[in-house]
Amino acid sequence: MKSKFRLSLVLVWLTVLFAQAEDDKYVTTMKKQILAVYQAQTVESLAEVVNTFDRISAAEKEKWEPLYYAAFGRVMMATRETDNKKKDAYLEIALKNVEAAKQIASADVSEVVALEGFVYMMMVTVDPASRGQLYSGKAFAAYQKALQINPNNPRALSLLAQMQYGTAKFFNGSTDEACQTGQEAVAKFKEEKDEISLKPIWGKGMAEKFLSQCK
Amino acid sequence: MKTCLLSFFVLIQTLALAQTKISGIVTDEKGEVIPGANVSIVGAYDGASTNEEGKFQFTTQEKGALVLAVSFIGYKPFQQNITANGNPIQVTIILKESINELEAVVITAGSFNASDESRRTVFKALDIATTAGATADIAGALNTLPGTQKVGESGRLFVRGGDGTETRTFIDGMLVLDAYGAAAPNTPSRGRFLPFMFKGTSFSTGGYSAEYGQALSSALVLDSKDTESISRTDIGLLSIGADVAHTQVWNKASLAGKIQYTNIRPYFGLINQEIEWDKAPLSYEGSAAFRQQVGKTGLLKVFGNFNQSDFSLFEKDILDENQRTRFQLNNGYRYINTAYKQAISKNWNMRSGTSFTHIKNDIGIGEIKVDEVDKGIHTKWVAEGSLSDAAEIVLGAEWINHSYNVKVDTSVYSLQFKEDLLASFAESQYYISNNFVIKTGVRAEYNSLLNKVAVDPRFSLAFKPGKEGQFSFAYGRFRQSPRNEYVRINSTLQQELSSHYILSYQLVENSRTFRAEVYYKEYENLVTQNQVTQRLANDGAGYAKGFEFFWRDNRSIERLDYWLSYSYLDTKRKQGNFPEQVMPSFASAHNFSIVGKYYFVVLKSQVGLTYSYTSGRPYHNPNENKFMNGRTPYYSDLSFNWSYLPKPNIIVHFSCTNVLGRDNIFGYQFSNQPNNEGIYVSRPIRQAAPRFIFLGVFITLSKDKVNNQLPSL
Repeated sequence: MKSKFRLSLVLVWLTVLFAQAEDDKYVTTMKKQILAVYQAQTVESLAEVVNTFDRISAAEKEKWEPLYYAAFGRVMMATRETDNKKKDAYLEIALKNVEAAKQIASADVSEVVALEGFVYMMMVTVDPASRGQLYSGKAFAAYQKALQINPNNPRALSLLAQMQYGTAKFFNGSTDEACQTGQEAVAKFKEEKDEISLKPIWGKGMAEKFLSQCK
Repeated sequence: MKTCLLSFFVLIQTLALAQTKISGIVTDEKGEVIPGANVSIVGAYDGASTNEEGKFQFTTQEKGALVLAVSFIGYKPFQQNITANGNPIQVTIILKESINELEAVVITAGSFNASDESRRTVFKALDIATTAGATADIAGALNTLPGTQKVGESGRLFVRGGDGTETRTFIDGMLVLDAYGAAAPNTPSRGRFLPFMFKGTSFSTGGYSAEYGQALSSALVLDSKDTESISRTDIGLLSIGADVAHTQVWNKASLAGKIQYTNIRPYFGLINQEIEWDKAPLSYEGSAAFRQQVGKTGLLKVFGNFNQSDFSLFEKDILDENQRTRFQLNNGYRYINTAYKQAISKNWNMRSGTSFTHIKNDIGIGEIKVDEVDKGIHTKWVAEGSLSDAAEIVLGAEWINHSYNVKVDTSVYSLQFKEDLLASFAESQYYISNNFVIKTGVRAEYNSLLNKVAVDPRFSLAFKPGKEGQFSFAYGRFRQSPRNEYVRINSTLQQELSSHYILSYQLVENSRTFRAEVYYKEYENLVTQNQVTQRLANDGAGYAKGFEFFWRDNRSIERLDYWLSYSYLDTKRKQGNFPEQVMPSFASAHNFSIVGKYYFVVLKSQVGLTYSYTSGRPYHNPNENKFMNGRTPYYSDLSFNWSYLPKPNIIVHFSCTNVLGRDNIFGYQFSNQPNNEGIYVSRPIRQAAPRFIFLGVFITLSKDKVNNQLPSL
């Protein structure tokens, strides 16, 4: 009787251990890949990391992070791609990844929605004249939603600042508002821990570079 | 117990350590290697991307029966069962090309699609708003495209030898009974629907889908916007009136409303008009659009428009200028449209809708008063299914109820008719490969006035021989009830018929488009009226043939976007009071347009110029023996527009048509009786004024302060 109880205890402990191992495996793999996506410099190397996120996401249906980083990687591919057809193809899948990430209960909605706005912003660049109205509207709405959920999201602030800046430049207007948002973004980035975890930490360099335009 | 546990751990350890090496190569069906493909073990993280040579290699700790999956953009996903037992596995994988939107050929014969989303569009939704001379009128902008013949005194779309009534407008798939506003005789009418309401426009100059019936020449399909994303208020102060619009956005719904007041009287007071107005046009208009997302995939759209306008003018008798007849029109227009779409399963979508149009005209000609009421109800149900990635099918049914009544106060009788049309249609599209597609359709229509069922075929295909250029061919037979003026006298007239044959070539390459099209169109059953007995019959016929070119380039010069279009038309028909087949007065052999737009950054302005040329049109001179022997001088117009954006949310818009002030003559009216010398006296039909000048200030108030009304101009 006693040994049976002990055995079951051991089994419980084993299950916990395995679950932990599984989760550790997830976290370790993800951290490695997240670092890789941040470091990738070419469309090819990004595509490789994106493929890995796709594989993890196919195996981990309850996790939002692989979808999020797959979408992020695709947006980065789009920023480096010159062929508009391919650019659109990457962004289309990125949008699907974002949509799927939103459906997952544990998702950090503020981050996911901010990335969604980034996808729309990149879509504008393919054909600004005719897509500007629709997609910049969608991008603005996404950033606003992201900030509503988490006013401290530095990525949402930084992207919003760039959007405001681009619009001001297009209309030859004042960039004050954009730069103010940019400063706010940089301040929030400073509060963020600069170490790789599953949480998104990208965008600090981009925000600082942006702010240098303001001077 | 302890040994048991120990061996358990050892077992786990071994399991964890046993690795299987998997390697291989991924190619397409032609044997070309595919770099960047994603190779994985289903349910595990293990996998790799293929390298430059299409090769991959990885190890997995998984054991037993596994599924190896390979995926890459543009190819069908691939899966293969493998058994991992520590021995290396080598595989050769051949991916099959999938039919995908980016690469696949599309049928372009006869159609111009304008949308901001599709990458392949030749004409964009924004173009409608920013084309000089179009004055933000949908038909005005489409008149710069090949296939249209400019008829300056009408403002409607005349396509490939067809008259204005042969083009039908559909909003979200639903029929619009009369898409144009009320206009004085021989003055251009404007479309009732503003371009900014729509996210997409599909303008077909022939060979259109079986879904659209009751149109002999052309279908203009307008796709209204989905749920708006930003709340905003728009104010417009115009030289001819004012408007205010508000859009309110909720989580899953939006409501937009607009009211507009147009009074052209002060403007006519300043600028001399050819027309002797008693009361210049004055109109009140309101519209509202409601959008509601239902569940995950459903979207409900409701749109309503009402317009009340009136004017009166004096028409001088041609023989005796002192004799004037007062012509007065009071037009009431109501339109409501409901459309709903939803996914019913993974592969099937459903959409349905109802539209209701009610038009009431109170017309006064001298002392005679005429009351005219035209009503239409249209309901439709469509299911769209994709049977595979290569095959799509559309099935639908619709009911159109049309009733008309006109009463002249001097007569006790009224002329009226009620027509019910029941139609069903089926269309399938099949991709043989990314380079070849075939579409076949059929439409069956039952007409209650004739108590008859008619079946019309549709067929089209497209073929892409190289990387970018593609050929399309389209054929179809189309039918349309004769005009109200005829059916109200004889309700058993047959439907008028046309057949289209179109061959088209299109090359779109990096912001440059070239397109050439040839067509032949045959008319049958056109309604004629015997000059002596006034009897109506279906013994008219005719043809139209021609070729067209289109070139658009927005790459060569930065910030400059321009297009050229040319149409050649040869047409003759016998209809109405024509004694034989002749070229009708609305047709013109040559039409040419050049449209340019340039954005000046320093001036914060977009400037546009449009030049249009139309060769002389036929008119009938009763002093000559030969019917329809006269030719008007050519028509030409140079229009200019200028949009200035002092702030992101303010636009100042100025536009002027016919800058050069050419005296365009659209035709001639002749006296009913010869004068004392036995000659029928003529009077040219001219533009109401040489130029139309418009100035407006548009202000948008919204949270983000950067939206403006540019697309609505």
